[in-house]
Amino acid sequence: MTELLPSEPDAEERDALQPAATPGPRSRRDRIRQGEAWRSVFRHPNLDTPRGRALQSFSNVFLHVYPVKVPARVLRMRYSFRLGFIATVLFSILVSTGVYLMFFYTPSVTSAYGDMQKLRTGVGFGQLMRNVHRWSAHLMVLVVVLHLIRVFYAGAYKRPRQFNWVLGMGLFAITLGFSFTGYLLPWDQLSYWAVTVGTNLVNYVPFIGTLLRDLLIGGEQIGQITLLRFYALHVAVLPVALCVLLMVHIWRVRKDGFAVHRGGVGAFAATDAPANATSSPEPVMALTKDHTRSRLLGVVDREVETAEERPVDDTVFTWPHMLVRHVVVALGTAAVVIALGVAFAAPLRGVANPDSTPEPAKAPWYFVGLQEMLSHFDPLVAGILLPAGVLLVLTFLPYIDRNPATEARNRKVAIVAFSIILIIAVVATVVGLAFRGPGWKFITPWNHSYIEM
Amino acid sequence: MVINRRYFLRRAWKACTAFLGGAAVWTSWEMLKARDVAAGGKITLGNPVDYKDGTATYVREGRLWVVNAGGHLRALSQKCPHLGCRVPFCDSSGRFECPCHGSVFNIGGEYIQGPTPRGMDGYALSVEGDALVVDTGSVITGPENSVQNFDSTAKGPSCAAGG
Repeated sequence: MTELLPSEPDAEERDALQPAATPGPRSRRDRIRQGEAWRSVFRHPNLDTPRGRALQSFSNVFLHVYPVKVPARVLRMRYSFRLGFIATVLFSILVSTGVYLMFFYTPSVTSAYGDMQKLRTGVGFGQLMRNVHRWSAHLMVLVVVLHLIRVFYAGAYKRPRQFNWVLGMGLFAITLGFSFTGYLLPWDQLSYWAVTVGTNLVNYVPFIGTLLRDLLIGGEQIGQITLLRFYALHVAVLPVALCVLLMVHIWRVRKDGFAVHRGGVGAFAATDAPANATSSPEPVMALTKDHTRSRLLGVVDREVETAEERPVDDTVFTWPHMLVRHVVVALGTAAVVIALGVAFAAPLRGVANPDSTPEPAKAPWYFVGLQEMLSHFDPLVAGILLPAGVLLVLTFLPYIDRNPATEARNRKVAIVAFSIILIIAVVATVVGLAFRGPGWKFITPWNHSYIEM
Repeated sequence: MVINRRYFLRRAWKACTAFLGGAAVWTSWEMLKARDVAAGGKITLGNPVDYKDGTATYVREGRLWVVNAGGHLRALSQKCPHLGCRVPFCDSSGRFECPCHGSVFNIGGEYIQGPTPRGMDGYALSVEGDALVVDTGSVITGPENSVQNFDSTAKGPSCAAGG
């Protein structure tokens, strides 16, 4: 992108940019589009030229989320599988369905369960709305995890994206918090006992475990205080936290150039003498130091770490190439969750009863792996040292794994270690979820399934 | 070290921000800390001789079990020390069997098997006049898993539904 980016056209220039008036009377559409009102909203002419497309991005506040141009390889599905984008779409679906649910729900132990029943039978599309909300929530946890796995294997957490990975881990934690707090709200046996088991896992944190748990549920036992607390977290605290973090996360993706160069050393080093950079990534920085470039709003210092300079311009316009793909993926995501919502009803068991534990009582599925580990090992090991250690190492992975290589053959240790942990986590989750029956005894899921989502 | 205006202001706004942060943490803590809603009280349980040897009686009011383990009366919390499930007493085996994760305790609340980190928690029991009184405010942390004072053998089949 060495050419100067176009600036906002002034009024005269705009008129010159308008397509030549077609002979004959102007259609109503043309008249509206050339009228004052339309042009006060959409400030640019709708020109299908490179300049027009660029202007379209510049003058649209929403398109600022995207760069004007992205590397062509970003368009390929298998580049990122669009997982981050799908997670964002699922979040928007969750917000919109969640607001609908809020109209019919009171966070009180006496009415919450009744509200869920009324939603089922007395509200048009109430059940569907709840189903879609629940499936989107499960899928969001899954997609966020897949996104994390994808980014790891691509080595996309390396310079300059170290901090964005940390933000991503924060978003992962918030996603789990969302799902976990939402789990309690129906106030049925499933939610009550899953949250009981889940919050009791916190007890195993050394020294401050009980304190943390009490702070979380607001008392000795899960009750009205807990329900209100989880509700406030679910509908107010976590959404704000997620939006802020997500904003920074996406902003950084965009600022970091949207794409890792595969097979390079470091993120963008493919063009900067890779042989050199294997030993030290410094030359990359040296090359771009003191570099300035023209920007839309004048000359700014080039950010050393986000710099990308490509000898060949392989970029394409975000609008329409990227945007069209995103719209298609968003529609597909919506179709999937609606189909799931139509096909599978969200479970609603009997009203929460602290005096009767259902068999078996399982934590929500993403914590079942932890529960499974807890049934094998000492709680201090399985409940704390292992998960906390994995979480800590994972969060600060970019600062621990200093190897600048992104291709698999040069980062075998990291990949093997990550894969082992991943396999353990998946196996523990699948065993805990599907192969455990009453009394946490080993069962075969094809005879009787105790999976409940 | 000369404290000039610039130096003072630079420190002052940081101090004020830290103060505000501290106030925010304190406020949050006071507002969100656990309320002692379940603050224990004393529950009168009737005549001790009514609790026969080898039986466990559920006291709904206190969410606890009163057991007679070989002549020793105990009040045991229904909450499993593992992950907080309610532990029911299995009459056929004469043991406590947790349905969630398979922890099993003998009638005295001591560990037999399963993932639990310790035996069942209990409450202080006393006799006032000829009535048994349990104080749910005074929790006795369950015994370590190695402690074996009571009979742990199963009297009959287990209640947990097999695989």
